[in-house]
Amino acid sequence: MADYRLDCMGEACPVPLLKTQKKLSGLNIGDVLIVEIDHSCAMKNVPEWARKEGHNVDIEETGDGEWEIYIEKTK
Amino acid sequence: MKLTETNFYQKIVRDPWPYVTGAVLLAILNIALFTATGNPWGVTTPFSYWGAWIWKAIGGHPESWGYFAEGTAHGKALMQQTFLTNGGSIMNLGIVIGALFATLAASQFKIKKIKNIRQVIAAVLGGLAMGYGARIAFGCNVGAFFSGVASFSLHGWIYTIFIFVGAWIGSKLLVKYLM
Repeated sequence: MADYRLDCMGEACPVPLLKTQKKLSGLNIGDVLIVEIDHSCAMKNVPEWARKEGHNVDIEETGDGEWEIYIEKTK
Repeated sequence: MKLTETNFYQKIVRDPWPYVTGAVLLAILNIALFTATGNPWGVTTPFSYWGAWIWKAIGGHPESWGYFAEGTAHGKALMQQTFLTNGGSIMNLGIVIGALFATLAASQFKIKKIKNIRQVIAAVLGGLAMGYGARIAFGCNVGAFFSGVASFSLHGWIYTIFIFVGAWIGSKLLVKYLM
């Protein structure tokens, strides 16, 4: 049950989603991945993918045009 | 209740609209544009005029190129129009101003840092490839796909097939060089 951060600031689609998929596949069940993004369409496609996979997802707006996506790996 | 907490603000101003909403609005606007001007929406043709106007202003002779041959629509645009009298150029300016307004209204404006030199190289090479491709394909995903398919033109469908080929090659390059 560890927290990991993934810095995707300055990355455009689909790089944040691909990096998230790669990083999450190496984590254990129960781990939380915090993805930092500043690209509004990644704010749509990263949570969409994670929810479809069945993980728990929460989005926090941390600044103007900046978000943190919390993904708890459930399986 | 603060304005930013209202349902209207969150659904209309801040959150991205559903794809269907965007598609219907784009269709209505393109029909309106076609009815008013006789041409469907395009984006990249004015870019070729911008380049040619600049080249002409610094002493070049784009009017001697086949693309801008006398009597063609491109030739007329080059010789008789300017940035402010060319409708397509004004529409492109409108896209940029509209996007800026939308992102400011949503409090999502941010000047992003360039992360590494590979992003710059990818942007320059990608821009050149897209610009060249848009000229030989009679437009971009707006002029060739959206307006081409809506006009029942075969070139719009050929474009559609090859955009998948391009996206496949592009995604392989992206994973190899940008990940």
